[in-house]
Amino acid sequence: MKKGLCLFFVFVALLIVFPLFFRNPFPRHLLIMIMMYAVMSIGWNIIGGYGGQVSFGNAAFFGVGAYASAVLLTKAGLSPWTGMAAGCVASLVLAVVVGYPCFRLKGHYFAIATIAIGEIMMGLFMVWDFVGAAVGIYLPILPQSFRNFEFHATKLPYYYIMLAMFLFAIGVAFLVERSRLGYYLRAIKDDPDGARSVGINIRKYKLYAFCLSAVLTSICGTFYAQYVLYIDPPSTFGLMISIDLCIISLIGGLGKLFGPVIGSFVFIPLVELTRVYLGSEGQGIDLMLYSLIMIAVAILRPQGLFGLFARGGR
Amino acid sequence: MRKAIALFCFFSLVLCLGAFRADAAGKEIKIGVIYPLTGPAASTGQVLLEGVKLAADIINNKYNLNMPLAKTEGLPNLGGAKIVIVSGDHQAKPDVGMAEAERLITQENVVALIGAYHSAVTATASQAAERYGIPFVNGDSTSPTLTERGFQWFFRTTPSDQLFAENFFQFLNDVKKKKRVETDPVAIFNENTLFGSDTTKFVEKFAKQYGYKVAGLVSYPAKSTQLTSEIQRLKGFNGRVVLQTSYVADAILSVKTFKELNFAPDAVLGNDAGHIDPEFVKSLGKDANYILSREVWALDLGAKKPMLKTVAEMFEKRTGKPMDGSSSRAFTAMIVLADAINRAGSTDPAKIRKALLETNLKADQLIMPWDGVKFDQKTHQNVLGKGIIVQVQGEKYHTVWPFDLATKDVVWPFPKWDKR
Repeated sequence: MKKGLCLFFVFVALLIVFPLFFRNPFPRHLLIMIMMYAVMSIGWNIIGGYGGQVSFGNAAFFGVGAYASAVLLTKAGLSPWTGMAAGCVASLVLAVVVGYPCFRLKGHYFAIATIAIGEIMMGLFMVWDFVGAAVGIYLPILPQSFRNFEFHATKLPYYYIMLAMFLFAIGVAFLVERSRLGYYLRAIKDDPDGARSVGINIRKYKLYAFCLSAVLTSICGTFYAQYVLYIDPPSTFGLMISIDLCIISLIGGLGKLFGPVIGSFVFIPLVELTRVYLGSEGQGIDLMLYSLIMIAVAILRPQGLFGLFARGGR
Repeated sequence: MRKAIALFCFFSLVLCLGAFRADAAGKEIKIGVIYPLTGPAASTGQVLLEGVKLAADIINNKYNLNMPLAKTEGLPNLGGAKIVIVSGDHQAKPDVGMAEAERLITQENVVALIGAYHSAVTATASQAAERYGIPFVNGDSTSPTLTERGFQWFFRTTPSDQLFAENFFQFLNDVKKKKRVETDPVAIFNENTLFGSDTTKFVEKFAKQYGYKVAGLVSYPAKSTQLTSEIQRLKGFNGRVVLQTSYVADAILSVKTFKELNFAPDAVLGNDAGHIDPEFVKSLGKDANYILSREVWALDLGAKKPMLKTVAEMFEKRTGKPMDGSSSRAFTAMIVLADAINRAGSTDPAKIRKALLETNLKADQLIMPWDGVKFDQKTHQNVLGKGIIVQVQGEKYHTVWPFDLATKDVVWPFPKWDKR
């Protein structure tokens, strides 16, 4: 365990000094995207990995986070940081409203219901004039400052904000794993009826997990809106976002603390680098190669890549 | 040891070849091109990229065409420098578009960017260009908002949806004069998603501006399987012209219902999309005749613009696909940009920007049905852009407006259903 801890600190130190060595925006952007997807996948892993409730609707929280801050900024001039908090509240409400009835559903039916939730949100935002409908929202370009959450000259502040969010997410997952909630969730995943028989309130703990998942996804939504400065329903509520989160957790290792982290450090560079170096002619070679690697992972390491990196990890 | 020598020789050879190649190529000007090369719009993205590549070929080599830079090799004011295209794939995702723009600017050192088809991606990619102070020429995104952002480095050659809506009324005015008929009042019929409702907003605005009366408006859900009651209401307005915005299934359904209810206004004027879908004429057959629609480009324009025909043939030879409204617009964006770089005589972004602002291309130098290319000094929107109107005649689309580019005379009024 001590060795694992050392490894983790080296990893964090490398992340901290990374921008000093890579001054081009592209590698920094790549790392930002990796960490953003890691945060969301960690969120996904809490409900999907520990709790075994596969959600294909987590993009709904991403979109709500993005829209909450963007709308508050454009309509009321509120700082995106306030918007981030508002987004979390809205996502929590959504998680409870959706989760309460849906957690009655077992297994596959929960997954199907979450697809519907994600798509309903997308449809709703497509026609809702107040939030820009299908045109989306152009965020105003403000003077760069921490309060405005906008930085134009360099990506460095975005990078460190994301890094902080990333460490926060790992902290949350760490606590979940060690807490009663973590054990309950694993019990629910392995044998829901058994868990109920020993007195675990299944729905309550699933809801807790779903809420944590929602908050971690929602803050990424706000970050995304401030980072890209333009949002529209397909780029924030798209089904592919939810599916990517699921894939990342799967290839990294389901229900493992560092599974989603490893998953996103493998998955996102794979997608981005194959696209950059092979995809620019549009022959689709990048997508073929990428799918081959995915198939190889699924066949050779169905339990995820986690064990490859941390031998002896749980 | 032998291995080391062999390796040394090999690398020397590579280096020599590299040096030789750099020498032979002369000066190169890198242009970044961002299109959706994979994903849901991949086929359009490929066609767009081919349009840009064809333009680069015409610029880099000698062709006897009356367009800027065709008759010379490369850019004469930069010592014959050649255009080199560096393409990036944005997969229709706004964040990827932004990252690609940044990568092309900072790692590939492109001097300008062209892209990106999807308005949402153009929005973020042009933002990156704005941040780095690199000119961005957009040839194919029509969302009006894009040129309302007050960007310094963003230029758009294609008309926006707003201008296309204005074209409806210019067309109606022209018909009124030429045919000595009444074209007022109009009735509006649109599907109710963003496309239809936005167009209707602009149509209402321009109706007012051009002094047309709107007799009434009916919106319907795009996925309707029944339009009888809607069309009965539409009929009741007694508008002379129906301005319609529909996707393909509802466009087909509406014509069938028009016939069923024997509703024949003087003209039915569609707004691109469903009315120009290949499926429209295929499934309606003869009943599609005399329907009008807006378009951005048509192959038959070649009858009046021989250069367009030549370029379209070159395109088809290269790619095996016919040129269309997308590839022709991407092609034009490249020509406009190269012309500006050549006039700037430099790859300095500020000088290119200044040259873009001074762009003044004439109608006969283009393969588009436009009056030319000239950018508004504030919004950087091309103010001389224009759409065309096509009419189905003999189950084929023919350009009928602007009149000087028309290949067939417009049939007006729409013949009654029992008299055709």
